[in-house]
Amino acid sequence: MSSSQRADLGRALCIITGASRGFGRTVAREMSRLVKPGSAMVLTARSGEDLRALQAELAESEAGRAGLKVQCVPADLAQMEGLLSVVSEAEAAFSEHIDHVILVNNAASLGDVSRFTRTFTEMAEVDSYLSLNVSSCLCLTARILQALPSRPGLQRSIINITSLCALQPFCSWALYCTGKAAREMMFRVLAAEEPDLRVLSYSPGPLDTEMQAVARSSTADPDLRKTFSDMFAAGQLLTCEASCAKLMKLLLEDSFTSGAHIDVFGPDHCVP
Amino acid sequence: MSDINSTNPMSLGRGICIITGASKGFGRVIAHQVSRSLEPRSVLLLVARSGTLLQEMKEELQSFIEGRQLVLHCITVDLSTKEGVDETVRVARQEAVDEIEHVLLINNAASLGNISKFETFTNPDEVNSYLSLNVSSPLALTAGILQLCPCRPGLRWSVVNLSSTLALQALPSWVLYCTAKAARNMMFSVLAKEQQNVKVLSYSPGPMDTDMQKEILRVTQVNHNPLPCHESAAKLMKLLLDDDFPSGAHLDFFDV
Repeated sequence: MSSSQRADLGRALCIITGASRGFGRTVAREMSRLVKPGSAMVLTARSGEDLRALQAELAESEAGRAGLKVQCVPADLAQMEGLLSVVSEAEAAFSEHIDHVILVNNAASLGDVSRFTRTFTEMAEVDSYLSLNVSSCLCLTARILQALPSRPGLQRSIINITSLCALQPFCSWALYCTGKAAREMMFRVLAAEEPDLRVLSYSPGPLDTEMQAVARSSTADPDLRKTFSDMFAAGQLLTCEASCAKLMKLLLEDSFTSGAHIDVFGPDHCVP
Repeated sequence: MSDINSTNPMSLGRGICIITGASKGFGRVIAHQVSRSLEPRSVLLLVARSGTLLQEMKEELQSFIEGRQLVLHCITVDLSTKEGVDETVRVARQEAVDEIEHVLLINNAASLGNISKFETFTNPDEVNSYLSLNVSSPLALTAGILQLCPCRPGLRWSVVNLSSTLALQALPSWVLYCTAKAARNMMFSVLAKEQQNVKVLSYSPGPMDTDMQKEILRVTQVNHNPLPCHESAAKLMKLLLDDDFPSGAHLDFFDV
């Protein structure tokens, strides 16, 4: 049974958070190759410098030279100001010719994995973590959906970059697991509410990024830490490009069930 | 050496039991039921925002408490604040004497939140505030309580998370509540996995005849045929007394 696949993502407006490095940056690069001329990207992260470097790179690329518009929005998404600036750039970048809005909720933090659940006695620390990893994601998505409402001929895709940690508990990863589980449910509710939206929770697998480097050096649980170190030593971490290719394929095939959790390795994967 | 009473299967032992949201609804009813299963010289800490309602409960329980030689403290605090959580932990620490055999924390306090379409949640303050009470607070409180006394043989730890079917099932217009319950379920699962000596239970009590359910009916016009709280509380009590559920389990009233 062959799956038919569109050749491109359309004339798209892509909004990508955490776009300055790691997986987010790779998504920006790969998506830029798959969108039609007349498309636009709104890239956000805290680091203005890294965003501008990416913007320059994309401007020089084939897509850039064919007219892809790239806007950078340095912003802290946990602050109202940051949220508003991303939404307003997205509104500005939108036009009647856009037939696909793609929001990639990728920005996230690991939280302190060097400690166990029993040590999280300070509400402020947990509040701050949830604010970035859950609330900002909910509010950004809600505002984008309101700002760029449904209309005939417009597809709206909402991607949640998730993890196996959304589905399974891991020792010393209380904040990360809690945040991912919260987001997973959040997007399942969205998918259930809006059947016209294409909602995907994509779990990219263990990537060779700075986040993974922190995971393997700081994880308090010795077994989990060893699992990460062993994977790194054995060259088993995925490149962002390899994982992103799978995400792009899913988007081009566009046959996933809205609200589904799809892992880069498929259903039996068991390492975050 | 454990005293003969604590091998009684119908007993929670000589314990310190902390119940949040204890002034109304399920919390109030479970407080009554728990008190019947605590051994003499146990401590019951009831936490809620309403001093008036807690005082009523104190009066309701007074003669029973005296007869059973239980100690009762009512803690009137707002658990959405650091001060509220810290005060609860402070009182618990003060009462957790060496002879305690069981520390039992029932994370029951919760709020419904706005039942509204996903798209309406454009205000981070609203979402942050909701998650703070319903996720951060039980995490911080649980962490604080777990640090009450050093682990020692013969000291039993039990943590209950009042959950919901909506921790597992997505329901349109219920994004806040579903998200928080899913978050709590995971949070307590991580705890269970980390600490073999702490028995963690996520208990989904079913729809009950509480103010929360009245609000659900008012907002959604859906009648869930609520149960009396005492029926659901009795099931939770049985689970705690039998103590043979796997730690970290998510159990529903209708399945046990």
